[in-house]
Amino acid sequence: MLTIPTSIAEEMIAHARKLDPHECCGILGGKDHTVSQHYPITNILANLSEDELGRFDGPKLSDLKQLSPEERADIAFQMDSQEMGKALRDIRDKSISLQAFYHSHTFSPARPSQTDITIAMEFESYREKLNLPEPLHLIISLLDKSSPDIRAYRIVNHESLEIRTILT
Amino acid sequence: MTKVRIPTPLRPKTGGKSEVEVQASSIAEMIDSLESAYPGIKERLCDESGEIRRFLNIYLNEEDIRFLEGKETPLKDSDEVSIIPAIAGGK
Repeated sequence: MLTIPTSIAEEMIAHARKLDPHECCGILGGKDHTVSQHYPITNILANLSEDELGRFDGPKLSDLKQLSPEERADIAFQMDSQEMGKALRDIRDKSISLQAFYHSHTFSPARPSQTDITIAMEFESYREKLNLPEPLHLIISLLDKSSPDIRAYRIVNHESLEIRTILT
Repeated sequence: MTKVRIPTPLRPKTGGKSEVEVQASSIAEMIDSLESAYPGIKERLCDESGEIRRFLNIYLNEEDIRFLEGKETPLKDSDEVSIIPAIAGGK
């Protein structure tokens, strides 16, 4: 279960709508499965050169290479590492903990893609060394523009398991 | 020797190794040592101006080097460095 204040859910939806058709991304911090801090992070994918797309593999990389840099951010995101580092530092300074990473799917359902799962598992292999708790992965779907769908998942053993979210 | 963890996308440059050891007294030296051992890896780590690329974080033990002394951060023999790409994904 993940509890999210309605105000933060509204901020995330506003962030997703502002960047639509590009994907947005960010980090949520809090305590005991309850979110209290929201860190919108810049999706820098459109600023990356083709040579810098090496972390996306297989079909995703082929898809990305067929698009202009601007269009690439419609189907994927790459967090700005500096902003991500600052957010994780602020979370630690506030004595709270990482709760979730989030991003938007602007024209597909709120379900993790194969790319989401692969990269989440890659992060999982580094996570313990950084002494971070296991994050949930939250997706905001704008498939129905008038009624955004927010869903949270645990990604473990290359599978995603939906976790109930409660807005308070 | 400092232990350096190599992220999945960079492992083709290290012959598939997920951890390598280098002799270096700072992060900048570590990057140059990596380049000597694994030519081509530096341009994957740093941009044209020599700064760490904006999708990578480098951690000394559990601390982001940006909050230490950046590339001038000194290294000790027992240190562990992790090169970690920031989270990404997509529909």
